[in-house]
Amino acid sequence: MTRSLTLLLLTLGTAHAGDLEDVQAALKQARTQVARGQAEVTVLFPPRATPTRAAAQLPALTVRPALLAKNFSVTRTGTEQVAGRDAARFTLTPKVGDAARWTLWVDLRWNVPLAFEERGADGTLARRAALTRVQSGTARVTRPAPPAAPAGLRAALTRALPGLRLPPGFTPVGVQPRGQGLEVALTDGLNGLTLVVAPQDVKAAPGVASRRVGKVFVWLVGNLPQPTLQAALAGVRSATPDPLGTFSASPDSNP
Amino acid sequence: MTHPTDRHTDDFDDLDTLLAQARQLTPADLSAADRFLTRRRAARSRSRAGWLTGALASAALVAGLTVLRPAAPLPGPLPSSAAYDAYQSAWGADW
Repeated sequence: MTRSLTLLLLTLGTAHAGDLEDVQAALKQARTQVARGQAEVTVLFPPRATPTRAAAQLPALTVRPALLAKNFSVTRTGTEQVAGRDAARFTLTPKVGDAARWTLWVDLRWNVPLAFEERGADGTLARRAALTRVQSGTARVTRPAPPAAPAGLRAALTRALPGLRLPPGFTPVGVQPRGQGLEVALTDGLNGLTLVVAPQDVKAAPGVASRRVGKVFVWLVGNLPQPTLQAALAGVRSATPDPLGTFSASPDSNP
Repeated sequence: MTHPTDRHTDDFDDLDTLLAQARQLTPADLSAADRFLTRRRAARSRSRAGWLTGALASAALVAGLTVLRPAAPLPGPLPSSAAYDAYQSAWGADW
């Protein structure tokens, strides 16, 4: 009985590991091949005047496979039709914390995404992109992997903003100047946060928290519940951005 | 009969006496000088006290204005779109 239960648990574990590998393979494939046709892209966070637009292909996802494997549970939840094609449906749920969760639909034959969506911890839709019609084959593209996070960046961020408590799973991956301040890109492998150190405050809004620290203001922006964003900044004791200066890249670099 | 020269000599003797009296300070002269110097010191002291009071008042005025002057107003907060732009440029450029 115990042996059967152990085997069952191992089988379930293996299935989850396989689901992760399937998603990783599809996301890797999407760097060189995409399905094209007609897509509908909806963005509700951050809010914009026209949330929905048409596109010829899905937008690129900025994925860091190692962080994705560390921070998300991946489960295949069935097969559905997308744009008239059979697609495997995967759910990606954060292992800890209340970051956004994702659903991906991967074409069973082409092994590339046909649709994906991001929802907040409360289930509210943040972003969705889905092909509604596809051409007969995939097209070749070149989407480079994001650059590796600079070594020592996390320690430098801790020195620059002592008391900062990053939301679970998030780690800094890039810094760039922003006016008289700077901004730090944080990710859990799939979701992004932007931390800004600026000489001026910003108005509070959904997904935006700000706090004055000495003579500067620290903002945290992302699709997280408001209390989580505020809690991350609540303990910041001082702000001396100098340690981050050596990591600062040009503004057009991709995190 | 008195010689004119003798009379002249007598006049000079009187004058010498007068001058000697004038050079010699009497208690009355000393008292007068003392009163004069006392008044003078009092006047100078009043003058110095007035200057010091004025300086202290000016310093207090400047300090008061410095402390009580309203602080320079901080620039108002940026609209939340500034935060969303920062997020969008990092994570949503392709969306």
